[in-house]
Amino acid sequence: MELGTFGAILTFAMELEGQAAAFYERAAEHDPAGPYHTRARQARKRVVRLERARREGVSEMILEAIHGLSSEDYQVEPDPGAALEAQAALLEATAARFYRDAAAKIPIPEIERLFRRMARDLSAGEGR
Amino acid sequence: MTTEQLRNYIDGAWETSASDELLDVRNPATGEVIAQTPLSTSDEVDAAVAAARGAFDDWRETPPAERARAMFRLKALMEEHFEDLSRTIVLEHGKILDEARGEVRRAIENVDMALGMPSLMMGYNAEDISSGIDETCIYQPVGPFVCVAPFNFPAMVPFWFLPTAVTCGNTYIVKPSETCPISQNRIFELLDEADFPPGVVNLINGSRDVVDALLTHPDIAGVSFVGSTPVARHIYATAAAHGKRAQCQAGAKNCLVVMPDADLDRTVAALLTSAFGNAGQRCLAGALVLAVGEVYEPLRDRLVERAALLKMGNGMDESVQVGPVTTRRSLERILGYTQQGLDEGARLVLDGRGVQVDGHPGGYFVGPTIFDGVDPGMAIAREEIFGPVLGIIPVDDFDAALAVIDDIPFGNAASLFTASGRWAREFRYRARVGNIGINIGVAAPVATFPFAGMKDSFFGDTHGQGRDGIHFFTDRKVVIERWF
Repeated sequence: MELGTFGAILTFAMELEGQAAAFYERAAEHDPAGPYHTRARQARKRVVRLERARREGVSEMILEAIHGLSSEDYQVEPDPGAALEAQAALLEATAARFYRDAAAKIPIPEIERLFRRMARDLSAGEGR
Repeated sequence: MTTEQLRNYIDGAWETSASDELLDVRNPATGEVIAQTPLSTSDEVDAAVAAARGAFDDWRETPPAERARAMFRLKALMEEHFEDLSRTIVLEHGKILDEARGEVRRAIENVDMALGMPSLMMGYNAEDISSGIDETCIYQPVGPFVCVAPFNFPAMVPFWFLPTAVTCGNTYIVKPSETCPISQNRIFELLDEADFPPGVVNLINGSRDVVDALLTHPDIAGVSFVGSTPVARHIYATAAAHGKRAQCQAGAKNCLVVMPDADLDRTVAALLTSAFGNAGQRCLAGALVLAVGEVYEPLRDRLVERAALLKMGNGMDESVQVGPVTTRRSLERILGYTQQGLDEGARLVLDGRGVQVDGHPGGYFVGPTIFDGVDPGMAIAREEIFGPVLGIIPVDDFDAALAVIDDIPFGNAASLFTASGRWAREFRYRARVGNIGINIGVAAPVATFPFAGMKDSFFGDTHGQGRDGIHFFTDRKVVIERWF
């Protein structure tokens, strides 16, 4: 889907984080002593943060149409045969790439900052 | 499935109107009837006014901090129901979900501002204005006020006024748009849940008869209106003739001036939002681009190219960038102006007519429409179309652009796109409009600033929002005292 509006981008980001949280929760069942409970909590927190941004960062003055961003470019299907950590790394790298790309497209400085920060945190392995 | 009949909210209770006159409310994306709104009776108007008048004395004696706390409860409820409210607006109005969310946010911003009323409505004093004599100015509420709301921002516009009026200690009646009344009804469910005392806030559905009955009622202190210029004139004149305060925000024909030094990419994005956002149905919409000098051709070409890419459809679909217009009548009016533009000799460089949206054969869709070679004397350059139609007028220089703006009877908003501080300063100094944008296509004042307007775009003196709003909803009483 073409992510041509502020809302479409934020909603897709929430979906990405929701999928990540679900993955970490499943991973935590396989590896209860591992880092996945924490990472699931971090992802759920990011969903809340994104929802708040969608609700509070919207401004009639600068709701400009956005071009050149598509959800198809950020679909992840981790190989279930791969190690959990490898699957998690793929999810996080994809999300970080999405946030970097979206930050460059979105004309609202507050949201651009939020996305850059989230990309940085994910790249730095937040929650590990 | 039965169609919901909207009710009135009077004296803290929901009541079904006794009227047998009902108007259909339609989903503009499909044309389907989604509710019916009653044209309330004169007895119901009287009951709403009596409730507001009856609640006033107790409410004005309620400490401002307590009034603000009630508003804080409302804020929490509006945040909780943010998404539901946004989707309701899309359903009744047709705008896209982002625009609806922006509208709800702006409504809440006005509640946010009203939370500060305990300090915002503080008066002032001076000692020894004459020897041994002190003088104090206090702000007092006035009585029951009314809002007559438009269809284009059905949730937000009543909230330019209601939160300020009510936290200042007045009581309030909203007459929602009969075209888009549902979101205001939903907000009143939240007002009910926030537990304001009965009669402090009231909602009465209806049309012109209800408005006239409110305007002439001896117990109404004042009216806030947003809508077309002819109706604004009528409301202003009727309210004044009956001794009431009035602030009437009216029509617009807003110009977007682009200087040769403007950042073209950023400017085009802003112009598209201004002209085609909300399907052009807002009083801050850009209607004319005044292209200065050599920017004209590249700007026109880029605008047409980018506007043609905008995705139309049902506003509930988040990939959609432009929704339908709100009524079939609006659609027909817009198509009529498009034909008139052609008849007057303007060149249609992007034709929005005949747009089809898959799965929505009954929707009121008209695509972004751009005329080139528009002459300032043409009807499409002087009259408010209130739809996604943009005219391009090439002008030689900055002064010529200002002359076009001056000659338009409206004075709501205008924007300048430039990299020059000098031109920006000249523009804000000289342009005879109320709301100025500098590299902003939709110059929408936030809650702490007045929503301005001049010429045929505003009738009254103090505007809605900001300090103007507090002045409108209060009397300033002066006390001069000495003690023996």
